[in-house]
Amino acid sequence: MALSAVASAWRGLRFGGEALAAALSPATYTPAVRSAVARQVCASAWDVLPGVVLVCGLLSYVVIRIVAETARDYGLSAYALDIFVRSLVLELIPLFISLFVALRSGAALGTEVAMMLARVGAQGTRQADVSALRAQLLPRGIGNAVAVMALTAIGGVVALAVAYVGLYGFSPWGHPAFSRAIGQVFEPLLLAGFALKVSLFALAVGAIPVATSLGSGHELRDVPQAAPRGLVRLFVGLALVETIALAAKYV
Amino acid sequence: MTGPEPAGPPREPAIAPVPETRHAEFKATVLLVLFAATVIGFVLYVLYARGVFESTQKLVLMADDGAGVTVGMDLTFSGFPVGRVQRIELAADGKARIEIDVPRKDAKWLRASSVFTLERSLVGGARLRAFTGNLEDKPLPEGAVRQVLRGDATEELPGLIATMKRLLENLERMSGEDSSLNASLANVRRLTDRMNGPHGALGGILGSEESAGKVIVAIDRANALLASLDGLSGKLERTLARADEKILGADGMVDEARKVAVQLNAVLVDARESLRKVDAVLADAQKISASTTAATEDLASLRAEVEASLRRVSLLIDDVSRRWPFGRDTEVKLP
Repeated sequence: MALSAVASAWRGLRFGGEALAAALSPATYTPAVRSAVARQVCASAWDVLPGVVLVCGLLSYVVIRIVAETARDYGLSAYALDIFVRSLVLELIPLFISLFVALRSGAALGTEVAMMLARVGAQGTRQADVSALRAQLLPRGIGNAVAVMALTAIGGVVALAVAYVGLYGFSPWGHPAFSRAIGQVFEPLLLAGFALKVSLFALAVGAIPVATSLGSGHELRDVPQAAPRGLVRLFVGLALVETIALAAKYV
Repeated sequence: MTGPEPAGPPREPAIAPVPETRHAEFKATVLLVLFAATVIGFVLYVLYARGVFESTQKLVLMADDGAGVTVGMDLTFSGFPVGRVQRIELAADGKARIEIDVPRKDAKWLRASSVFTLERSLVGGARLRAFTGNLEDKPLPEGAVRQVLRGDATEELPGLIATMKRLLENLERMSGEDSSLNASLANVRRLTDRMNGPHGALGGILGSEESAGKVIVAIDRANALLASLDGLSGKLERTLARADEKILGADGMVDEARKVAVQLNAVLVDARESLRKVDAVLADAQKISASTTAATEDLASLRAEVEASLRRVSLLIDDVSRRWPFGRDTEVKLP
């Protein structure tokens, strides 16, 4: 059982590494791949952008009001924006976006991959088939990863804008205090760590569900378990990245 | 991503393609541009917020203890941030050296005579504050080094605890068996017991029932004395009434004196009238003997003497009238 888990994790890491190398290589982006990536980005990010913006805005407004009122009660109003940014923008929104994209696109992709493998397995597995399958999966993984990064960035900025309105209304006079608080929170090292964390989230969402499905059995009975197993591993991967990020930041 | 190719044409395992979207590449490009613009814009905003694009001047604060001071924390003036800590290090003399960047536009609030404090409260982080008493003073020079004063609420705790300990010890001493407070309370209790005795509060104040009895006897005697004095004052009042009748009553001494004065006044009035008639006679005689100078002169001098006498008598009458009180007001006012 433990060996199986280690082997599975190794397969996932290997697939992720290969996918990352391919994604960073300009030669990968042939017209066909670009088109496939664009379609996946549209499906994973563009179509849900209004909903994500709306949800992020509402969540941010509720959270900033709660934080601001609580901080005021305790005489810690100066720290309200600090707490909000550190909890919502830096931690919760990236996690929320990653899970959203994974549930919406990653699970479906993992199921499709498992079904294809079962079909191929029924016809006799050949290495060329798996390789061709991987080549088709790459644009979709890249699309999901790009969706995670884009939605996280846009959602974070929307959250900050809503936080400003929640704290100061539409008055421009809160800008100096707001800027100063943002400048204090986003130290260069923290900003770099945040970018790295979101990149790892994106890589996990793009690679883990597919890698898990590719590693599952080639039988039809393995198909129903492929997607949940991929999601569980994705959650574990995201939790691991989040834990490491928090430990590096605060411990 | 590609493995060794086996012999024979590969079959095409196809997964369900992503649903076609109109203008997918355009939308993806817009999204990527938006993403890039968001990231670049946010990074630039953070740099701006951290004061990277601001012209600053350096200020160095030296503190005995740099605990609580963090890089990025604000230096405030009247509650407004006017500087940001850029670096903290241990100086050669063992003090904390805090380097602060003050934006040029805010440097006007800091003067050569400004005072800087580092305050640590029980709740919240440390605060660096600047106080400028004279805003007309010389500007703070570039790279100025100032000692920071400490205002630490937690540092007061040991002293506060020591004071409270002394206070509790005092309270313990005060509430002990042989304490002065207990002795005082015992005395008060004895006093109240005495006050509950037959002679009440008097016995408590005087210390014994015997003394209280003496005081009561003295009071009774004083009451008797007052009663006899009351009778004496009645007799005296009657004597005074009789004296008043004899002096001020009808046919009294004052009344008789007033009558005498009235008679004297009438005599003097008659004398004045007689002299006035003599004066008239002399005036006629002066007219008749106007031709005789010597006689006239004698008569004139005589007349002058008579007039002088008349004036003296008149003055005497007026004086008597003025001095004699009964001539003006016959009412006698008694106190």
